[in-house]
Amino acid sequence: MAAEHAAVAHDPNIGCTGLDHRKMGMWAFLGSECMFFGSLIGTYLAYKGKSISGPGPHQILNIPLTSVSAFVLLMSSLLMVLALAAVQRGDMKWAKIWLFLTATLGAAFVGFQCFEFTHFVHLGLTLQTNLFGSSFFVLTGFHGAHVTGGVIWLLSMWWLAMRGRLGPQDSLKVEICGLYWHFVDIVWIVIFALIYLIP
Amino acid sequence: MESSHTAPSAGAAHQEHASVHTYLRVAVVLAILTAIEIGALYVPGLPPHILVTLIIIFGTMKFALVVAFFMHLRYDSKLLTALFVGPLMIATLIILAIMALFGSYLLLPRT
Repeated sequence: MAAEHAAVAHDPNIGCTGLDHRKMGMWAFLGSECMFFGSLIGTYLAYKGKSISGPGPHQILNIPLTSVSAFVLLMSSLLMVLALAAVQRGDMKWAKIWLFLTATLGAAFVGFQCFEFTHFVHLGLTLQTNLFGSSFFVLTGFHGAHVTGGVIWLLSMWWLAMRGRLGPQDSLKVEICGLYWHFVDIVWIVIFALIYLIP
Repeated sequence: MESSHTAPSAGAAHQEHASVHTYLRVAVVLAILTAIEIGALYVPGLPPHILVTLIIIFGTMKFALVVAFFMHLRYDSKLLTALFVGPLMIATLIILAIMALFGSYLLLPRT
């Protein structure tokens, strides 16, 4: 017990709670992000059905296409935990593969969103068209920006792994990156259910 | 390269995570829940309030599974759970408050 306390005391990243500052910081950040997205989701739901001109969600949302992109993002979360497990056991070959595939699925999700946004603009829905357009593009746009940031972070991790600068001793860095990635996934679970699936 | 998170010092900060088999099982459950969620949209004659309730329940289950297993909150310190669940409750209250202020309801008919 005393030896454990001594070891903890020597690690500058471990605070009086016994937890790593970086991990605690990420969880606190994700808590603040919950409130950020909560405000945007609340605004969307408050404005739902109150646009005085079209197009509305039932005329424009493409459920089959978005279901595929939601599934892609969900499965990228699986690849992320497989990457973390590979880093933790020192299997860097598979860690590189899983990290790259996670980033690829994330990029595919962003691609789906770009296609969807372009399609909506062609159908006459922009940020200025109506309340639905404003709240929809702001909410999903901010989420897409978060996913893009996550893809850049994942590619950075992959690049470090490719250059041999990421090993089992750095598993916490991958874990924190994973926490962010899973967060953008759970935000999409909520957005997909509340915006796309609920009539 | 910094390597502060070594095994000896990580004892207090790093708990055991789920196994790869658990991750795969959770992913299968998530895929099934997603399929049911989407499939419910195409069930003819399903009353809207049942559909909305089903989507909210399945969405909440998916959310909880990802947070508990993929984000490891099930295995991590309760302090981290509090750091996340506290703001999550505030976010939920924000959504409900904004909807109440604007007279918008998911399950109840609008007046």
